Amino acid sequence: MRALVIDDSRTMRRIVAGALENLGFSTVQAGDGQQALDLLESGEEVDLACIDWNMPVMDGLTFVTKVRANPAWRNITLMMVTTESEHGQIVRALAAGAHEYLIKPFTTDAIRDKLDLLGLVPAEETV
Amino acid sequence: MSLTQDTFAFVADVVRRRSAIQLEAGKEYLVESRLLPIARDAGHPGVDAYIRDVRAARRESDLAEIVEALTTNETSWFRDNTPFSALRTHIVPGLRADRPVLDGVRVWSAACSTGQEPYSIAMTLTDVLGPGARFDITATDLSDQVLAQARSGRYSQLEVNRGLPAPMMVRWFQRNGHDWQIADELRRAITFTKHNLLDPPPGGPFDIVFLRNVLIYFDLDTKRSILGRVHRVLKPGGYLVLGAAETTIGVDGDWERVPVERGSVYRPVQAGALPSPRPASGALTGATPAVPAAAGPAAPAPFGSRAPATSTSWPPTARPATTTLPTAPRRPAGPAFEQGVTR
Amino acid sequence: MTAAAVEQDQVFAIAEEVFAAMIDGEPGYLRPWEGEVPVPAEPLAAWVDVHGELAGRAAVATDVPTAHELTRALLGMGADEPVGPEDLQDAFGEVANVVGGNIKALLPTQGTLGLPEVASALPAAPAGALTHELRLDWRGRPLVVVVSLFQ
Repeated sequence: MRALVIDDSRTMRRIVAGALENLGFSTVQAGDGQQALDLLESGEEVDLACIDWNMPVMDGLTFVTKVRANPAWRNITLMMVTTESEHGQIVRALAAGAHEYLIKPFTTDAIRDKLDLLGLVPAEETV
Repeated sequence: MSLTQDTFAFVADVVRRRSAIQLEAGKEYLVESRLLPIARDAGHPGVDAYIRDVRAARRESDLAEIVEALTTNETSWFRDNTPFSALRTHIVPGLRADRPVLDGVRVWSAACSTGQEPYSIAMTLTDVLGPGARFDITATDLSDQVLAQARSGRYSQLEVNRGLPAPMMVRWFQRNGHDWQIADELRRAITFTKHNLLDPPPGGPFDIVFLRNVLIYFDLDTKRSILGRVHRVLKPGGYLVLGAAETTIGVDGDWERVPVERGSVYRPVQAGALPSPRPASGALTGATPAVPAAAGPAAPAPFGSRAPATSTSWPPTARPATTTLPTAPRRPAGPAFEQGVTR
Repeated sequence: MTAAAVEQDQVFAIAEEVFAAMIDGEPGYLRPWEGEVPVPAEPLAAWVDVHGELAGRAAVATDVPTAHELTRALLGMGADEPVGPEDLQDAFGEVANVVGGNIKALLPTQGTLGLPEVASALPAAPAGALTHELRLDWRGRPLVVVVSLFQ
C-alpha cells in the first residue's frame, strides 16, 4: 500500500506519514495540492491520499475535485486530514468526493480506525 | 505540586488490582491531574491529603471512583468494524429468514461504556431495517458515569474522530460548541440502564446481544455463568456477538459458531436438543441441533485475528507510545466488585 | 460579534485535545496557570487569522525554550536533540493552526483560515478588537492562548 501525504506543514506530514508507515504503508509527500497533482501526473501510483485543506498554491478541496474529475485516479481513496471542523465543511468535502474525513488534532489510533473503515489496514497489520 | 511516592504507590496498586492497568513510574502527573478535581470536590487541598483520607476511611466507593478516573478513555465507533458489517450482511438477513415481517428487533448492548457501541448499532439498524421499522436497544454498564455520558449523546471531537465514518458523522451529529451532539432519533431508540453482568439480565428476550471485550476479564466459571444467562434471554434463532479475542468454544457448548467475514457470530442451541455433531456453517437457518464444543473448530478465530490493541496487547505497555491510556476494561463485575460505583 | 461566541472553557477544551492527542500522547499535562504568567525572556508567538464575516486571530504565545519542547514532542525528538529553526517555525506554527482551526469552528458564521505565522511578538490587533487570554500550564511551563475577535 502506498500513501500520498499532502500538507504544507512538514511537521504534520511527518506525523501522518509516520503513522501510515507504522501501519505498513510506504509514503510520498507533497507540500500543496499542485505538487500532489504533479506527482500523480508524473505516474506516481498511490492507494490513499491524506489531504490537508488549507494550503498555499492549491488547497485540498480543489485537489480532491481535480482527482475525482480524472477517471484514471478513481481508485485512489481520499481522506481529508484537516483542522477544518465545521459540520458544513465536512459535507462540502464529502460532496467534492472525499471518502473520509479526519479532524486535527487526532491520535494515531484514530488514523488506524479510519483506515480500518476504508478497508486499508494492510494485511500484515491484521495478524 | 507533586505527589508523594507513597500516594502514587497506593493509587497505582489500587488501579492495578482492579483494572489490570499498570501505572508506571512517570505517571504521577497523570494521577494528580485526574484525581485533583475529585480531591477538591471532597474538600481536600490536594491529592495527597485526599488519598490519606481515602486510606483511613476505606470506603469502597472512593476506590471505585479512583479507578474510574484513571481508566476512562475514549472508545471507537464501529469498533472492529466486522461486527457491524455482520449485522448488516448476516444477522439482520438471518432474522428476516425466520420472520417475514421483521419489526421490533430487540438488542442488548452489554458493557456499553460511553455509548459508542449501541449508537453504532442504532445507526446500522436504521439503515438496514429500512424506514418505519422499529427496533429498541437496551444498553447497560456498571458505571453511572459512562452511562450519563452515553445518555447525553454528547461527545468530544477526539471521540467522534475515532472510527465514525464521515457520512454517518454528518448525518447523525451536529456541533454543540466544541463537542458533537448525536441526533435525538438515535437516543430515543436506546434505553441506558445500570447493570451488573453477574445479576439477572435486564429484560429480554432479545434478538441480538453484543457482549464484546468483557468475557476476557473473567475466569472460566464466571464466563460460563454469564454466557448461560445471555443464552436464557436470547430468542431462538437470535445472535450473540462477542469481542474479537473472545469465543464460546471451550467455555460453553450451548452455542453454534457461525463464521462471518473476518470473524464469527454465535447462535444459541436450543436447550434439550440432542447433540448431533455437524460442522459450523454459514447457513443462517433457524434453531439448529446442539453442537458439542469438541466438534467445533479447535482453534477459535473470532472476528478474524485482527483484534484491538486493548484486548490483545495487554498490558498497556505494549501499546504505541502515542496512544492514551488503554481503553478502560469493562470493570469486572466479579465478587470483589459487586458494590460497583456508589455515589 | 459577541464575546460569548468563543468561551474560555471551549478554548481550554480545544487546547487540551491538541496537547493530549498530538503533543503528550495522553491527557493530563495541561491545566490552567495559577496567578500571573511570568514575562518570558525570549518570547515566541504563532498565530492564524480567520477571515470572513467574522474575523479574528488565534494565537499561542510562550517562550523559546517551551516552543523547542513542543517541537520535540510533536516530532518525536529526543530530550536533548537540537531543534532547527525551520522545524521550530513549522511545528510551533502548526500548534497555532490546529488550535485556530478548531476555534474557527466555534464561530457562528463560516470563515476561512489563513496560513500560520510565527514571530517573537504578536501583531497588534485592530482597534476595538475583543481579546481573551487563556493562561495555561504545560508541564510547569507557561503558555497563553490568545483569541482576538475583530470588530
